[in-house]
Amino acid sequence: MLPLSLLTAAQNKPMLVELKNGETFNGHLVNCDNFMNITLREVYQTSADGDRFWKLKECYIRGSTIKYLRVPDTLLDAVKDEQARAREAGRSARGAGPGGRGGRGAPPRGRGGARGAGPRGGRGRGRG
Amino acid sequence: MSSLQGYVDRRVLLILQDGRAIAGVLVGFDQKSNVVLSDSTERVYSMEEGVEEIPLGLYLVKGDMIVLIGEIDDAVDQAVDLSTIRAEPLPAIRY
Repeated sequence: MLPLSLLTAAQNKPMLVELKNGETFNGHLVNCDNFMNITLREVYQTSADGDRFWKLKECYIRGSTIKYLRVPDTLLDAVKDEQARAREAGRSARGAGPGGRGGRGAPPRGRGGARGAGPRGGRGRGRG
Repeated sequence: MSSLQGYVDRRVLLILQDGRAIAGVLVGFDQKSNVVLSDSTERVYSMEEGVEEIPLGLYLVKGDMIVLIGEIDDAVDQAVDLSTIRAEPLPAIRY
Protein backbone atom coordinates (compact mmCIF):
# COMPACT_ATOMS: atom_id res chain seq x y z
CA MET A 1 0.00 0.00 0.00
CA LEU A 2 1.41 3.39 -0.91
CA PRO A 3 2.18 5.80 1.94
CA LEU A 4 0.40 8.65 0.16
CA SER A 5 -2.74 6.60 -0.35
CA LEU A 6 -2.75 5.76 3.36
CA LEU A 7 -2.41 9.45 4.13
CA THR A 8 -5.20 10.46 1.74
CA ALA A 9 -7.44 7.86 3.37
CA ALA A 10 -6.62 9.38 6.75
CA GLN A 11 -8.49 12.62 6.06
CA ASN A 12 -10.50 13.73 9.10
CA LYS A 13 -8.64 11.27 11.29
CA PRO A 14 -6.49 12.36 14.23
CA MET A 15 -2.75 12.04 13.89
CA LEU A 16 0.56 13.08 15.33
CA VAL A 17 3.12 14.73 13.08
CA GLU A 18 6.73 15.15 14.15
CA LEU A 19 8.85 17.59 12.22
CA LYS A 20 12.55 17.34 11.55
CA ASN A 21 13.15 20.03 14.18
CA GLY A 22 11.43 17.87 16.82
CA GLU A 23 8.21 19.86 17.16
CA THR A 24 5.05 17.77 17.29
CA PHE A 25 1.62 18.61 15.97
CA ASN A 26 -1.45 16.70 17.13
CA GLY A 27 -4.54 17.31 15.04
CA HIS A 28 -7.06 16.11 12.49
CA LEU A 29 -5.95 15.86 8.88
CA VAL A 30 -7.83 18.20 6.57
CA ASN A 31 -5.98 17.62 3.33
CA CYS A 32 -2.72 16.43 1.82
CA ASP A 33 -0.95 16.46 -1.53
CA ASN A 34 1.70 14.54 -3.42
CA PHE A 35 4.50 16.37 -1.65
CA MET A 36 2.96 15.33 1.66
CA ASN A 37 2.21 18.99 2.43
CA ILE A 38 -0.69 18.75 4.89
CA THR A 39 -3.26 20.92 6.58
CA LEU A 40 -4.45 20.04 10.07
CA ARG A 41 -7.28 21.44 12.20
CA GLU A 42 -7.71 21.64 16.00
CA VAL A 43 -3.97 21.35 16.43
CA TYR A 44 -1.94 21.06 19.63
CA GLN A 45 1.63 22.07 18.88
CA THR A 46 4.45 21.10 21.24
CA SER A 47 7.95 22.51 21.09
CA ALA A 48 10.91 20.21 20.53
CA ASP A 49 11.94 20.31 24.21
CA GLY A 50 8.38 19.56 25.33
CA ASP A 51 8.23 22.78 27.34
CA ARG A 52 5.93 24.98 25.31
CA PHE A 53 2.46 24.33 23.91
CA TRP A 54 0.22 26.09 21.48
CA LYS A 55 -3.32 25.49 20.30
CA LEU A 56 -3.95 26.31 16.65
CA LYS A 57 -7.26 26.24 14.84
CA GLU A 58 -5.60 25.25 11.58
CA CYS A 59 -2.08 24.86 10.33
CA TYR A 60 -0.23 24.04 7.13
CA ILE A 61 2.86 21.87 7.26
CA ARG A 62 5.27 21.58 4.36
CA GLY A 63 5.94 17.96 3.53
CA SER A 64 9.70 18.40 3.35
CA THR A 65 9.81 19.33 7.04
CA ILE A 66 8.04 16.21 8.24
CA LYS A 67 9.98 13.46 9.98
CA TYR A 68 7.11 11.05 10.46
CA LEU A 69 3.38 10.79 11.02
CA ARG A 70 1.70 8.56 13.56
CA VAL A 71 -1.81 7.49 12.61
CA PRO A 72 -4.51 5.40 14.36
CA ASP A 73 -3.95 1.64 13.98
CA THR A 74 -7.55 1.14 12.89
CA LEU A 75 -6.80 3.16 9.75
CA LEU A 76 -4.81 0.32 8.19
CA ASP A 77 -7.70 -2.13 8.23
CA ALA A 78 -10.13 0.57 7.12
CA VAL A 79 -7.99 1.41 4.08
CA LYS A 80 -7.41 -2.21 3.13
CA ASP A 81 -11.17 -2.86 3.27
CA GLU A 82 -11.86 0.20 1.17
CA GLN A 83 -9.30 -0.79 -1.44
CA ALA A 84 -10.71 -4.32 -1.59
CA ARG A 85 -14.24 -2.94 -1.96
CA ALA A 86 -13.14 -0.52 -4.71
CA ARG A 87 -11.47 -3.37 -6.55
CA GLU A 88 -14.60 -5.52 -6.34
CA ALA A 89 -16.76 -2.62 -7.54
CA GLY A 90 -14.35 -1.97 -10.42
CA ARG A 91 -14.34 -5.63 -11.43
CA SER A 92 -18.10 -6.01 -11.41
CA ALA A 93 -18.57 -2.72 -13.29
CA ARG A 94 -16.15 -3.85 -15.98
CA GLY A 95 -17.78 -7.26 -16.24
CA ALA A 96 -21.22 -5.66 -16.75
CA GLY A 97 -19.86 -3.34 -19.47
CA PRO A 98 -20.00 -4.28 -23.19
CA GLY A 99 -16.82 -6.40 -23.32
CA GLY A 100 -14.78 -3.47 -22.07
CA ARG A 101 -11.60 -5.51 -21.80
CA GLY A 102 -11.58 -6.40 -25.49
CA GLY A 103 -12.28 -2.79 -26.46
CA ARG A 104 -9.37 -1.46 -24.42
CA GLY A 105 -7.08 -4.18 -25.53
CA ALA A 106 -5.21 -4.65 -22.23
CA PRO A 107 -6.08 -6.54 -19.05
CA PRO A 108 -7.30 -4.31 -16.20
CA ARG A 109 -4.58 -5.51 -13.85
CA GLY A 110 -1.86 -4.46 -16.25
CA ARG A 111 -3.35 -0.95 -16.45
CA GLY A 112 -3.71 -0.79 -12.69
CA GLY A 113 -0.08 -1.77 -12.26
CA ALA A 114 1.17 0.95 -14.59
CA ARG A 115 -0.92 3.60 -12.84
CA GLY A 116 -0.01 2.43 -9.39
CA ALA A 117 3.54 3.83 -9.64
CA GLY A 118 6.81 2.26 -8.46
CA PRO A 119 6.26 -0.82 -6.32
CA ARG A 120 3.72 -2.77 -8.34
CA GLY A 121 5.33 -1.85 -11.64
CA GLY A 122 8.66 -3.05 -10.26
CA ARG A 123 7.26 -6.44 -9.43
CA GLY A 124 5.76 -6.75 -12.89
CA ARG A 125 9.10 -6.01 -14.46
CA GLY A 126 10.49 -8.84 -12.44
CA ARG A 127 13.77 -7.39 -11.48
CA GLY A 128 13.18 -6.77 -7.67
CA MET B 1 17.18 -1.90 -9.67
CA SER B 2 16.76 -2.86 -6.02
CA SER B 3 13.34 -2.39 -4.52
CA LEU B 4 11.71 -2.74 -1.14
CA GLN B 5 9.05 -4.99 -2.62
CA GLY B 6 10.86 -8.03 -1.23
CA TYR B 7 10.43 -6.70 2.31
CA VAL B 8 6.69 -6.07 2.18
CA ASP B 9 4.75 -7.84 4.96
CA ARG B 10 8.00 -8.74 6.71
CA ARG B 11 9.32 -7.37 9.97
CA VAL B 12 12.01 -4.78 9.34
CA LEU B 13 14.25 -2.53 11.39
CA LEU B 14 14.45 1.10 10.31
CA ILE B 15 17.36 3.30 11.32
CA LEU B 16 16.50 7.00 11.09
CA GLN B 17 18.78 10.01 10.76
CA ASP B 18 18.20 11.02 14.38
CA GLY B 19 19.60 7.66 15.51
CA ARG B 20 16.28 6.03 16.31
CA ALA B 21 15.70 2.35 15.62
CA ILE B 22 12.12 1.43 14.76
CA ALA B 23 10.99 -2.17 14.23
CA GLY B 24 7.72 -2.95 12.46
CA VAL B 25 5.95 -4.78 9.65
CA LEU B 26 6.51 -3.10 6.29
CA VAL B 27 3.06 -2.44 4.88
CA GLY B 28 3.98 -0.20 1.96
CA PHE B 29 6.51 2.11 0.40
CA ASP B 30 6.89 4.40 -2.59
CA GLN B 31 9.56 5.66 -4.97
CA LYS B 32 10.82 8.23 -2.47
CA SER B 33 11.26 5.46 0.14
CA ASN B 34 8.47 6.83 2.31
CA VAL B 35 7.52 3.80 4.38
CA VAL B 36 4.41 2.59 6.20
CA LEU B 37 5.08 0.39 9.23
CA SER B 38 2.43 -1.34 11.31
CA ASP B 39 2.82 -2.71 14.86
CA SER B 40 5.93 -0.64 15.13
CA THR B 41 8.00 -0.32 18.27
CA GLU B 42 10.92 1.96 18.98
CA ARG B 43 13.92 0.18 20.45
CA VAL B 44 15.87 2.41 22.80
CA TYR B 45 19.34 1.07 23.55
CA SER B 46 21.30 2.00 26.65
CA MET B 47 24.50 0.99 28.41
CA GLU B 48 22.86 0.90 31.85
CA GLU B 49 19.60 -0.96 31.27
CA GLY B 50 18.29 -3.40 28.70
CA VAL B 51 16.52 -2.42 25.52
CA GLU B 52 13.34 -0.44 26.07
CA GLU B 53 10.60 -1.20 23.53
CA ILE B 54 8.09 1.62 23.08
CA PRO B 55 4.98 0.58 21.12
CA LEU B 56 4.11 3.08 18.42
CA GLY B 57 1.39 1.53 16.25
CA LEU B 58 0.89 2.61 12.63
CA TYR B 59 3.71 4.81 11.40
CA LEU B 60 4.33 6.68 8.16
CA VAL B 61 8.02 7.59 7.94
CA LYS B 62 9.34 10.10 5.42
CA GLY B 63 11.88 8.58 3.06
CA ASP B 64 14.42 11.36 3.53
CA MET B 65 14.67 10.45 7.22
CA ILE B 66 15.55 6.82 6.61
CA VAL B 67 19.16 5.66 6.70
CA LEU B 68 18.76 1.91 6.63
CA ILE B 69 16.05 -0.73 6.35
CA GLY B 70 16.98 -4.23 7.40
CA GLU B 71 14.90 -7.39 7.36
CA ILE B 72 14.46 -8.90 10.83
CA ASP B 73 14.95 -12.63 11.10
CA ASP B 74 11.97 -13.52 13.32
CA ALA B 75 13.55 -16.69 14.66
CA VAL B 76 16.69 -14.89 15.80
CA ASP B 77 14.72 -11.93 17.10
CA GLN B 78 12.43 -14.07 19.27
CA ALA B 79 15.44 -15.86 20.74
CA VAL B 80 17.05 -12.63 21.89
CA ASP B 81 16.32 -11.47 25.45
CA LEU B 82 16.23 -7.71 25.06
CA SER B 83 16.69 -7.06 28.77
CA THR B 84 20.22 -8.47 28.65
CA ILE B 85 21.40 -6.27 25.79
CA ARG B 86 23.66 -3.33 26.57
CA ALA B 87 24.53 -0.99 23.74
CA GLU B 88 25.38 2.62 23.12
CA PRO B 89 22.48 4.41 21.48
CA LEU B 90 23.20 5.57 17.94
CA PRO B 91 23.95 9.28 17.67
CA ALA B 92 22.12 11.45 15.15
CA ILE B 93 23.68 12.11 11.77
CA ARG B 94 25.88 15.17 11.67
CA TYR B 95 26.47 16.74 8.29
